[in-house]
Amino acid sequence: MSASLAASVVFLRIHDFARRAASEQARLRAQLEAVVAVTTAEIEPLSRIVLEASDGVAIVVLRDPQGALRLAQRALTSSAAGLPLSAGLNHGAVQLAGRKGGEGMTGDGIAVAANVAEFASASRLLASRAFRDALADAAPGLEAVLVPAGTFNDPGLRTHELFGPDATALRRRSRRYTLACVALAMALIGAGLAWRISVEGQEPFVNAMLDKVPYFRALVLKVNY
Amino acid sequence: MAKKSDKRIGRYKLLGELGRGAMGIVYKAEDPNLDRVVALKTIILVDDAAGRKEYQKRFFLEAKAAGKLNHPHIVTTYDFGEENGIAYLAMELLEGKDLRARLQEGVLPAAEAVDIAKQVAEGLGYAHERGIVHRDVKPGNIMLLGRGRAKVMDFGLARMRMADHKTSTGMVLGTPKYMSPEQVAGSPVDNRSDIFSLGIVLYEMLTGVRLFAGEDAPQIMHNVTYSEHEPPTRVNPALPAMLDFVVARALKKDAAVRYQDAFELAADLGTCLAELRGRAGENGDSTKTVKLEAPDKASPAPAARAIAIDTRLPVSRQFDSAAALRRIAETKGKYRAPRRLGWFRRLLGDAPARRLVLTTLAAGLAGAWIAFPGWF
Repeated sequence: MSASLAASVVFLRIHDFARRAASEQARLRAQLEAVVAVTTAEIEPLSRIVLEASDGVAIVVLRDPQGALRLAQRALTSSAAGLPLSAGLNHGAVQLAGRKGGEGMTGDGIAVAANVAEFASASRLLASRAFRDALADAAPGLEAVLVPAGTFNDPGLRTHELFGPDATALRRRSRRYTLACVALAMALIGAGLAWRISVEGQEPFVNAMLDKVPYFRALVLKVNY
Repeated sequence: MAKKSDKRIGRYKLLGELGRGAMGIVYKAEDPNLDRVVALKTIILVDDAAGRKEYQKRFFLEAKAAGKLNHPHIVTTYDFGEENGIAYLAMELLEGKDLRARLQEGVLPAAEAVDIAKQVAEGLGYAHERGIVHRDVKPGNIMLLGRGRAKVMDFGLARMRMADHKTSTGMVLGTPKYMSPEQVAGSPVDNRSDIFSLGIVLYEMLTGVRLFAGEDAPQIMHNVTYSEHEPPTRVNPALPAMLDFVVARALKKDAAVRYQDAFELAADLGTCLAELRGRAGENGDSTKTVKLEAPDKASPAPAARAIAIDTRLPVSRQFDSAAALRRIAETKGKYRAPRRLGWFRRLLGDAPARRLVLTTLAAGLAGAWIAFPGWF
């Protein structure tokens, strides 16, 4: 038995697969394979393993949570044409399984991703807290793209905290930080000014400033005339 | 072999014995009124008077219902009656052999198997539309006639047998090899139970493997309820991939996600049949379904819901994952989970946070320079 490792798992699940006619199942399965072929192309073969589930596929992505998130988002985008797909993302323990060690994979990383995908509605992507943390470690700040989407209990009664993507979240966060920068800068400089005025009084402080910057003195004189 | 005799049951003159079953004997008989040779199925009624009356009543009800079924894939019931404690059914006499005997000769060609299952599904669909559930779909109840025709027999009789074979605790006796999970659980059954049973028969025809086999009835019942089947294409890679989906849907443990209608199953089997015939005629481009490369013999892939219990997923044969698998195998034991980032490294990696810190530092310095000019 091989040692376990932590990897990102993207579980792409076809909605209501079991309830569909077999001809439709075959069509959807073929469509899903086409989507997986396109979306996994940008991840190097050394870093991804495609596993088969009866109602979808699970893609194990090694050491690249950003790649896993991109893959899931692209899969959902390209699945718009009649493929009711949902995606579950998780980062957790996986392990090679099977007698030869290459027949399959097992692990909690896969189980949770499957549960998350089961919970997501069609065309929706949900990620676990573990995946968000892994994303934060791999690309600090990028985790902000995943915003809270609620909690749910899986069939094993485990509670999962879920996050969904928000395309504008990164821009909003950047704007918030910029505003914080401006406010802090103004506050700190203002505090310096206030301290100086309180110590020296307004008149001497203004004179000292005008002496230091001759342009200001000329400006004040111009305004007085 | 049939043997001439003067014995009669009802108005039927017995010509010989065709077979014996759990409920009684099947005779070849002659109906003198219509000058027609029929199969006369006898059922020995129970001994106690109250039970017998009830049993007889139910038998007549079932026989009457079955007698209304008139379909090319259902054996026609002509007549029924009772004489000297023996109930009988006069049925269409078929020249052929049952599927059980055919299976003993070996696996059926895929097209033939699918065609038989399709015909049976059509027959079942017709009966289900009329509110009649077979309850005992198995190879022994499917007759194969000439020109690839198949007929289902013994409609309604299963209910009599079930009642007979139930113990006082409600346990079902007999071999539950072809029963549905709800049937072995003793729950009420409907048309979807027949679909499950037909799924088992189809699987056996396609692969030669008897599903849910076990040493005894409890083990078989356990397998019926909990064991998942291996997709037929893994047992017989020559089969079209679509059959995996058809069999999987027919054999869903949960009746709610199974085929809800035998006609729907027949339609899907019809599509598979078109593909198989297209392949045989080497012009499969007209009705070709998607060809999935048949993988090596490996474990079946569970659905997302089942993965909570069984997390093992097979590697997809459609995509080459050998490089990554090799990478994992080679890094055996050395592959550690990446360490969580500390706040400083996180700060360095996060551009907006870095900007905030740098701006704060710069503004702080500017504020200090203004407040304490002597320091600079």
